[in-house]
Amino acid sequence: MKPLPSLPTPLAALLPLAALLGSPHSSRADSLRLEGAIVHTVSGPSLTNAPVLLRDGRIAAVGPDATGPADRVVQLDGLHLFPGLIAPVTVLGLVEIDGLRQARDTTEVGDYTPDVHAWIAINPDSELIPVARANGFTHAHAVPSGGTVAGHSSVLRLDGWTIEDMAVKRVSGLHVYWPSFSLDVSPRPQGPGRDNWKSPEDQVKDREKKLREIDEFVDQAVAYDRARTAAGLGQAPPIALQTSTGKRPPLVETNGFKVVPAWEGMLPVLRRDEPAFLHAEDARQIESAVSWALRRGFKAVLAGGRDAARVAPLLATNKVPVVYEHVFTQPPRDIDPYDVQFTAPSVLSKAGVEVSFSEGTDRFGASSIRNIPYAAAQAMAFGLPRAEAWRGITLYPARLLGLSDRLGSIEPGKDATLIAVSGDILDIRANVRRLWIAGREVPLESRHTRLYDKFKARPLPKP
Amino acid sequence: MSQGVLPSTRVLLPLAAAILMALAPSHAADPIEPPGFTPRPTTLHALINARVIAKPGSDYSNATVVIRDGLIEAVGPALQPPQGSRVWDLAGLVVYPGFIDAHVVRPSSTTPTPPPAQPPSLDSLDSLASGVASDPRFLGVPGQEQDPGLPGPGSAIPDVTPQLRLADAYAPDPKLNESLRELGFTAANLAPDRGIFRGLGVAVALGNSSPNRSILRADTAQHVSFSPLPGREGYPNSLMGAIAVVRQAGLDARWHRDRKAQPQGSTPSDFNTALDALQPLIDPQQPLPVTFDPGSILMADRAARLASELGWSARILASGHEWRRPDLLTSIALPFIVPLNFPSAPKLPSDADWDAVPLDLLRHWDWAPENPAVLRRAGIEVALTTTGLPDRKDFRRNLRAAIDRGLAEPDALAALTTIPAKLCGLSAQLGSIEPGKRAFLTVVDGSYFAPTSHVRAVWIDGVAFQFPSPRHDAKTKTAPADGTNAAAKAKPAEPDKRVARNPLTGRGILTNPPAVLVRHATLWTGTTQGVVHGSLLAVRGRIVSVGPEPPALPGGTLVIDAHGLHLSPGIIDCHSHSMILGAVNEASLPSTAMVRVADVVNSESENIHQQLAGGVTAVNLLHGSANPIGGQNCVIKLRDGQPPSGLLLADAPPGIKFALGENVKQSNAGDRNTTRFPQTRMGVGTFYINRFTTARHYASEWQRWRASGQQGPQPRRDLELDALVEILEGSRLVHCHSYRQDEILAFLRTMEGFGVRVATLQHILEGYKVADEIARHGAGASAFADWWAYKFEVIDAIPYAGSIMHQRGVLVSFNSDSSDHARRLNLEAAKAVKYGQTPEPDALRFVTTNPARQLRIDARVGALAQGLDADFALWSGNPLDSSSLCLETWIEGARYFARANEPARVAALKDEHAALVAKARKSAKPADKPDPNGPAKTDAARALFFQRALEHARGLGVVECQDCEASALARP
Repeated sequence: MKPLPSLPTPLAALLPLAALLGSPHSSRADSLRLEGAIVHTVSGPSLTNAPVLLRDGRIAAVGPDATGPADRVVQLDGLHLFPGLIAPVTVLGLVEIDGLRQARDTTEVGDYTPDVHAWIAINPDSELIPVARANGFTHAHAVPSGGTVAGHSSVLRLDGWTIEDMAVKRVSGLHVYWPSFSLDVSPRPQGPGRDNWKSPEDQVKDREKKLREIDEFVDQAVAYDRARTAAGLGQAPPIALQTSTGKRPPLVETNGFKVVPAWEGMLPVLRRDEPAFLHAEDARQIESAVSWALRRGFKAVLAGGRDAARVAPLLATNKVPVVYEHVFTQPPRDIDPYDVQFTAPSVLSKAGVEVSFSEGTDRFGASSIRNIPYAAAQAMAFGLPRAEAWRGITLYPARLLGLSDRLGSIEPGKDATLIAVSGDILDIRANVRRLWIAGREVPLESRHTRLYDKFKARPLPKP
Repeated sequence: MSQGVLPSTRVLLPLAAAILMALAPSHAADPIEPPGFTPRPTTLHALINARVIAKPGSDYSNATVVIRDGLIEAVGPALQPPQGSRVWDLAGLVVYPGFIDAHVVRPSSTTPTPPPAQPPSLDSLDSLASGVASDPRFLGVPGQEQDPGLPGPGSAIPDVTPQLRLADAYAPDPKLNESLRELGFTAANLAPDRGIFRGLGVAVALGNSSPNRSILRADTAQHVSFSPLPGREGYPNSLMGAIAVVRQAGLDARWHRDRKAQPQGSTPSDFNTALDALQPLIDPQQPLPVTFDPGSILMADRAARLASELGWSARILASGHEWRRPDLLTSIALPFIVPLNFPSAPKLPSDADWDAVPLDLLRHWDWAPENPAVLRRAGIEVALTTTGLPDRKDFRRNLRAAIDRGLAEPDALAALTTIPAKLCGLSAQLGSIEPGKRAFLTVVDGSYFAPTSHVRAVWIDGVAFQFPSPRHDAKTKTAPADGTNAAAKAKPAEPDKRVARNPLTGRGILTNPPAVLVRHATLWTGTTQGVVHGSLLAVRGRIVSVGPEPPALPGGTLVIDAHGLHLSPGIIDCHSHSMILGAVNEASLPSTAMVRVADVVNSESENIHQQLAGGVTAVNLLHGSANPIGGQNCVIKLRDGQPPSGLLLADAPPGIKFALGENVKQSNAGDRNTTRFPQTRMGVGTFYINRFTTARHYASEWQRWRASGQQGPQPRRDLELDALVEILEGSRLVHCHSYRQDEILAFLRTMEGFGVRVATLQHILEGYKVADEIARHGAGASAFADWWAYKFEVIDAIPYAGSIMHQRGVLVSFNSDSSDHARRLNLEAAKAVKYGQTPEPDALRFVTTNPARQLRIDARVGALAQGLDADFALWSGNPLDSSSLCLETWIEGARYFARANEPARVAALKDEHAALVAKARKSAKPADKPDPNGPAKTDAARALFFQRALEHARGLGVVECQDCEASALARP
């Protein structure tokens, strides 16, 4: 990968920190030592019976350095301590009951909508959030869909009173759903749909047209960015970030330059402030999307990646991380081994690709976040090293979201975002016992535990 | 035949003459034409100096055929042409019996339109013959129904029109006839094209005479398919529904006959043109045959079984996929009418597109020309047809390909002559050149099967239709003199050799030792023994001992050292749709108790291998949840490689799918589906009481009839009510899809009221709220481990449900309802440990012993215990540990899956795919030149290539995961 070009003045310099990073919690200005746990640092070795010192919402020290004085001490008695889990591609908070249209806010209309942002539609009181948290998820990346350029995703801390509390990163990725390379070979229908039918040749033409359109769209965005800079607005954050601070009215016209919200939405990815998430599944689609992003000089993340293992060298060479959504997808081709999807993360990892795990964005995408560790576990059973499986649900998602300075491993200086588990988090039989987000212990109660407690206590019938 | 000497006999009779002849009683009449009309030619002909192949195996050289008045008078060598005959010198030509196309599809003549609404009768005794399920109009109360069915007498099901006679509306289609004559055909059997009971075919001569003279035989066969009319919401709208319709109609035909024969019954017999039209099928003397168009090899097998069940004589229109299961052909043992619509390799936009072409499509492409030979090798009688060809002109080329791939020429000739004549009931008239037969001849300037020969004439009823001389034809083209013309270049030099393997190759049993000992294993017995270390010995498919290793082993025992490994009973999936052919739902009627999943088991599904790889050995195949009373289920074992009949778990008691809640009240089916009863949970309960009351009345009517010594007319058998009566009698298990606690409880109480104990409550997401009531009722709970939030009625679903119900005494299993989850049910079981601390041995029983008990198959499977089937899975570690793998899966002492075998299996598949892609790309036609008539033909050819076998269809209403599908239906 090319060295990073020198960035313009960081956005943070122009904005209050809170606008980008969410507001801090007030109840964590103390120190806490966790003792007696098996500490899986994830970034380094696992440490038996190592203390971890938390201070001011951060990890102050791990191991021998963590023995100093602390306001409080918690005995973890052989529990396994992991960094909080991160779901890298989800629709958590955007959907409540998938079967109800009223309860879905995942998919917008339009082919190019870079001015759409996920975080403003997150329901902080979704019943699904505590359920995800109960199995160790402290962060989730909520992703929009719809059209080709769907908009921006946001990283959520799964604890907070409001969306502003929760949105750790409001603009964390631009989501590009790459044109399909598979051909629809179904015969031309006799009745309805006859006029919409396309021959394979025409489908190829359509695809090529769509690919040109994407490039043209980016060309126009680049031109807009230049004109904007020429107008003296080079340092101004995109309008969505200006308005969302509520501090002052946004710039809409300067020196004759007119702000266009959609083009504003392209700025973070043009400036490499955020990656482009390339949603692509089949091998050719992945190759096409990745080479496009590289040619454009974008930071790229591959999401979906059903056939990613078949193009592993391309991804490894160009350091494109993968959010793999297809461990439990059935083999796509009738010449594939039964375990082709189970082994894919291992193949990618061996080639040098960082693999994160996701349950995707389909109808179980939000409700089964709690099962993401078991996708990683399945990959482990089929060859992925255990430490890579751990990283695939912690450190690698943190990295591709640009948050590895704060999240994803147990290291001094990172957020005190931790889970204590009765066993390996990859073992289905294990349960999360305690959870801290930025130093604050968050209860593991959920709709499910409440109903469990209620009906467990139903009096037994009289014999 | 000397060119130009003979006057053209290819004369179209003027209309007036045609009308005169139409009125003439006999075709042998030789009237003098009225003045002004071209006089008729002579009817006495002698064809001399020809090679005459009078029938397959009977070959005269230098022979004469004498034709008088449309009949063959004599045939043989050295015959003198009779006095006054017109002599045709056919030196150098070959005369065959006129070819017969056994199946040319023609549109049915009438288009059904919906009938006026009629109130469905629900409760009165009269309704026994037309209950809700038998009344296909029951898609809404009067005035509100969406699809009211067909008007007029006959069946109320628009797909059932056996009374349609193609003969009634037959008019020759000159273009069609000419296109067939050019290929050498002289006669054809026409078949109607739409519906399930399509009506009666007709055999016609392919001349251009009047309909009266052209029809050789009316009502040659009743045509039956398993394809409901497309786009209808009414019953039936699935493959299994279509089969149920055929079965019920077959029974109704007999009932109708008996009732007519015994008119002393209380009710007058129906005027029913449909049932009248089915009477010839059960004529004890000369049954009219049924031609089935089953659409796939598995359904050909089903058609043959159905025909023998209903006492019908039958033949099958081949799907072209018979090569997939030659083993089934021997048991089908019916004549096949075989299209030669072989796919040709299409041009694809890029080479990379070839990688995405499924192996299965390539296999079919490669096997297709061999299919006729495969049928013959199995001893099947074969007739050929041009049906299905995108372009009829390809017929001879494809026939040549079939011969090159093993179809013997005499068989090919029989398939064009004697066999189709027999199938049309025309053996006495057509099919061979013999005195007394009608003069239908095909004249070729060489062997018909040589690609270079030309059909020079066909004789139809003594009238010759000649074709232009090929030499003359060649002259019009500008062929270079040096012999390098395009035609010569295009000659395929090398014979086509098959690359594809049979899909049965590499499938099925890997090892089948007389006995197998697994020693030093951790044994999850599923019995009171719990989890123990030791050995398991199985002999001839049964478990002989569990625990201590027996002192002596039978000879030939295969010993597996399972040190460090775990052995569990084979996993049993209590809720699956993974191996169902066609749609999983007959979604039309609120009760479809007459449809049977057993009719549509898909033994060819890739899911079998994938699920074996997850340790699964037995599966409960359930109908979907679209109706309060769904179809009958089918319990199978994953004996990969066996045909459907070989998968059935014979001892499994029959069962049926019921469903409650959102799916059955169509809440997620969009705004259009709002008229079928029920639309509320109130109505669901109402519906059950109605149906079971009806079933009781039905049962007592039969009882009265039997008690009276079978006096009076026999009550009508109703397959829906039969199934409901079996439920009332306790011989059919109810598996009920259910969600909310109110509906669960109401359902249990309703069934208790009818004296029925429910076998399982499926999904049962709120079962934890009424666990005590379920336990007391005695129903099993077959649950999802942790699904929730996908639809509104699962808002209170919790993953602790399994543990709570287990702790409160309910027999709990975890099921998949998904071809994905089925591959990892052991890990679903682990969730019972996680959520609610169910002990590990109990948790594994959720996917082994408990489903076996719920399905009442625990005397055969579900545990590692002496006397049970040796169905087991070998794991690399604790099967509840997500880092463990399934290593081997055994059924009845035979190894069906071995992880160690997978690389070799896949390497063979990949090699085969690569070889087929190479072959296909070589033969793929170059891009079609722009041609005004081209695209349609190209589309048709491409569609043929890409058409997936029914067994491997994806999409097309085939759902893998029924319950999530219901909510997905709501999407645009």
